[in-house]
Amino acid sequence: MSGPIDDYVATLHRELDFDPALARRLASEVEDHLRDAAEADPAWPSPEAERRAVERFGLSREIAAQFAVDAVDRQARRTWVTLAVTVVVTFVAMRLRVIWLDDDVLAPLTNIAPLIDRYAFIAALTVGVIAWFAFRRSLAALAICLGGLVASIGAGIVRADLFASGAPVHVLLSAAGEIALIGVLSFHVIGLGRRLRHTALLRRVGQ
Amino acid sequence: MLKGHLDAIVLAALEAGPAHGYAIIEAIKRRSAGTFDLPEGTVYPALHRLEQAGLLSSAWTTPPNGRRRRVYSITKAGSAALTERRKAWGRFSLAVDTALEGGRP
Repeated sequence: MSGPIDDYVATLHRELDFDPALARRLASEVEDHLRDAAEADPAWPSPEAERRAVERFGLSREIAAQFAVDAVDRQARRTWVTLAVTVVVTFVAMRLRVIWLDDDVLAPLTNIAPLIDRYAFIAALTVGVIAWFAFRRSLAALAICLGGLVASIGAGIVRADLFASGAPVHVLLSAAGEIALIGVLSFHVIGLGRRLRHTALLRRVGQ
Repeated sequence: MLKGHLDAIVLAALEAGPAHGYAIIEAIKRRSAGTFDLPEGTVYPALHRLEQAGLLSSAWTTPPNGRRRRVYSITKAGSAALTERRKAWGRFSLAVDTALEGGRP
């Protein structure tokens, strides 16, 4: 039969499910703490001693919310670093394409792809710089940056017709690097969104 | 107000030697003569944050007659950070003391 400590640990484990490794580690650590605290209670051994130990520990949802806030900060940092690397790689790849295109496959001026390639990148960069200074946890700003970069990279690839025009290896590699980084960036943005939602839910239910 | 200084208080509690979560919270209560009677669970997010920042390290240990525990130790970076926070707190508390003493503006 489970007691107050078992119930508390199971609840905390569930509330930390946004990070399974942390949930496992903390459940074990907190159980150890609560058993020490209950054993130090004059009423030990009894469910009352366990209940008091749990009460002194604090609400599981508030503790999980503190971990969730820290997880949001870490995820936001990872996302911003990936965004910065993606912007640099996209810029380099864009320049490599332009140099190569100037020599060989100049796109027609009426084509909209070069405009999207350039201005979507500039928009992503501008939003990114503003958000870095003002809204570092803004999912919307990061999503706009991601959208801008996807549009720019997509337009760049279409513009150069990369996979059919016999582009040199360095141009193909830089494009592959862009695509891979966009994948990683998307993964981080989605992860940040999940963590922000989880944190908001824990805070709302805890109020 | 305590929350903003919890990380430094946890670092200070570990200055005397490695300890597990329950011992850390007991040390904080003892050192503050019961003034810092915060919910015991609040120390764990702080421990995790400090470990992520490289100011603490931790490892599981199993004493001969006891349960498996996670024991935390302060790192060199943690000791340096604690020294800095003590200096900052000294300046801050001196300024507050001076302001609260009143006198001429």
